[in-house]
Amino acid sequence: MDAGELELFRSALRQATTNHTGKALEDALDELGWRDALAADRQAAVSTLFELQGEANATSSALDVVMAGRPAVLPPLGSYDQPTVRGLGTYAFANSALDGVTVRPVDGIDPSLGLVEVTGRLPITDVSSWSDAVAAGQLALVHELIGASRAMLELARTHALERVQFDRPIASFQAVRHRLAECLVAIEAAGAAAEAAWEMETPLSAMAAKAVAGRSSRVVAKNCQQVLAGIGFTTEHPFHRYLRRVLVLDGLLGDTRTLTKRLGEELLRTRRLPPLQTL
Amino acid sequence: MELDEFRSALDAWLDAHAAELAPPFEGTGTLDEQMAQLAKVKGAAYDAGWTRWGWPERVGGLGGSPLLRGYLGEALTLRGLVDPGGYSMVEVLAPTMIDYARPELAAEMVPRLLRGEELWCQGFSEPGTGSNLAALACRAVRDGDAWRVTGQKVWTSFAQYAQRCVLLTRTGPPESAHRGITAMFVDMATPGITVRPLGTMHGGAEFCEVFFDDVSVPLDRTLGEEGQGWSVAMDLLPFERSTALWHRTAFLNRRLEQLLIDASSDSLSAAEIGDVFVQLFALRARSRGTQHRMAAGERLGPETSIDKILLATTEQALFDLVGAALAEDVALGDDTAAEQWRAQYLYSRAATIYGGSAEIQRNIVARRLLDLGAEA
Repeated sequence: MDAGELELFRSALRQATTNHTGKALEDALDELGWRDALAADRQAAVSTLFELQGEANATSSALDVVMAGRPAVLPPLGSYDQPTVRGLGTYAFANSALDGVTVRPVDGIDPSLGLVEVTGRLPITDVSSWSDAVAAGQLALVHELIGASRAMLELARTHALERVQFDRPIASFQAVRHRLAECLVAIEAAGAAAEAAWEMETPLSAMAAKAVAGRSSRVVAKNCQQVLAGIGFTTEHPFHRYLRRVLVLDGLLGDTRTLTKRLGEELLRTRRLPPLQTL
Repeated sequence: MELDEFRSALDAWLDAHAAELAPPFEGTGTLDEQMAQLAKVKGAAYDAGWTRWGWPERVGGLGGSPLLRGYLGEALTLRGLVDPGGYSMVEVLAPTMIDYARPELAAEMVPRLLRGEELWCQGFSEPGTGSNLAALACRAVRDGDAWRVTGQKVWTSFAQYAQRCVLLTRTGPPESAHRGITAMFVDMATPGITVRPLGTMHGGAEFCEVFFDDVSVPLDRTLGEEGQGWSVAMDLLPFERSTALWHRTAFLNRRLEQLLIDASSDSLSAAEIGDVFVQLFALRARSRGTQHRMAAGERLGPETSIDKILLATTEQALFDLVGAALAEDVALGDDTAAEQWRAQYLYSRAATIYGGSAEIQRNIVARRLLDLGAEA
C-alpha cells in the first residue's frame, strides 16, 4: 500500500473499531476488505487493525484469521509451546461447530474481551505450522498492546493538561512529566521492536517483540494510573478497561516474563547472541 | 555503493587485515594506546577508501548513504578494533563542519578528521553550565578580524589529544541566553589554551578542563553566523543520538556476548540475561530506524532523545548485570579482563549523565514530543 492508500485504509479501520466490537466489527472488517488487505500487505493490515483495535478497546476474532485462517486455540497463560488440548480461544469458538470441542466462556479480569476456554480435539496439529502461527499471533498482539498503551497515554496526558492543582495543570510538574515521558519511551521501544520482528521474520524476533511490548504496556499502565490518580480508579473513567485488556493480552501466546526467560535460556544454552537485525 | 555490497567488501577487507588492525594491547589499554590504535585503524580504513563512503565529495568523501558510515563503525566496534567513544566523535563533528563551516574550511579540515590524522574535541559544557547549556559564559569579543576568547570548558573529551575544538562562546550580553551564543572552530595549539585532564572513577582521563586566556580565533573560523551557536549545538546533538549511538549499541552487543562467555552458569539467571537481551533488541531496533530516517534525508530532532534514554537505560541494565554476575572480578580482579569489566562497569554509571542527562532527555520528551506545555 502506498502512503495515500494506507491513510484511507487506516481511517476506514478507525471508524470500524471505534463504532463496533465483536461480531459487528468482523462484519465491518469484511465489508471494508480487511482480509484482502491481509493477503496483499500483511504487515500493514495486521499492524493497522490491531493497533486501532487496542486503542479502541474493541475485540474481534481477527487473531484467529492472522494465526490460522480459522479459530485457533491459544495456550493458556504462561505457556505457548505447542497446541494444547486445553487453552483459550476467541469467542469465535463459541460459534464454531468443531467435533469434540467444548467451550466455556472465560470472564476473568476482562470479560468484554470474550475469551472462551476450549477443551478437546485441536484445529491445528502440525507443530511446525504452529510455531509460525504463534509468531504471527504474537506480532498481532504486540500491535494491540501498543494501541492500548497509546490510548492509556493519551488519557493520562489529557488528564494532566486539564487537571488543575496548586493553581496550575499537573502537567507542569516534573514528576508527572517524567512519568508520561517514560510511557512514550516504552511505547516507542515496542514499536521499534515490532518493526524489527516484521523485518526479520523469525520466531525469536517475534518472541522478543512480544516480550518488549508486554513489558512496555505494564510500564505505561502503572505510570498512567498514577497520573490519572483518583478518577482513573473509578469505573466512570475508561482507564480500567485498558488496564484489564493489557493484563490479558500480555498473557496470550507467552507473557513477558515467560518469553524473557525463554530467550535467556537460549542465550545460556548457546553462549552467544542470535543473529542481530542488520542495518 | 549499496549497503550490501559495502558490507561484504568491508567484511572481507577486515578479515584479510585482521592481524595488522588488531590492537597491540590486551583489554582496554591506556588512553595513549587507545588513541594510537584509533589513529591507526582510521588511517588504514581511510586509505582503503572505507571511511570516505557516506560523506559528501566536497569534503573528500565518496558519496553514498550515511548507512555506510553506520555499518563501518558497527563492524569496527563489533570486532573490537576501536572504542566507540573516540571513534564516533567523527559522526558528531564532521556533520557540524559540513553544515556550518565555510566550504573551503570544511574541505580542508574534514579529511584530516576522517583520516585519523587529527582528533577534534567539542567545547560545550562549563563548570557552571552542565544541563543548562544556554547559560554558558565563556566569553568571545570581536577584535578586528578575530575573536578573543576567555573562559573555561569542562568535560571536553580527548582535549589533550585534540588539534581542533568546536567551541561554543558567549558573544551577546550575559542575559542573551540562547540568542547570544556563537560557535567557532579553534586550533588547540593557539597560545592561551591550557588543557587539564580530569581523573575519573573508571580510569582513563578522557575528560578535560580547558582554559581559554585571551585566545585569538580568526573571524573566518566562525561556524554559522554570529549568534547562531544555539542552532549549531541543537543540530549537533541529534548526531550524538544517531550514528554514534548505533556504534555504541554494537559495543553493548559485543559485551553482552562476552558476558555469556565469561560468566559461570550459576551466576547468570535466564530471566536476567533475557531481560538485558530484550532491552538491547528494542534499542537496536530503535537506533536502526533512526539511521534509516537519517539516510532518507529526514531532519533528526527531539525524537532522538528517546534513543538516548533507551541507550542509557540498556547500558546500565547490562552493566548492572555484569556487576552482579561478575561481582568478584569487578570488585577484586586484577587481571586484564577484570580490569576491563570494572572500567566499563564504572563508565556505565555515567550513561545517564553525559550527553544530556536522563532528566534533561525526559524534559525534552515531555515538552517537545508530548506537548505538555511549560514546566512549573
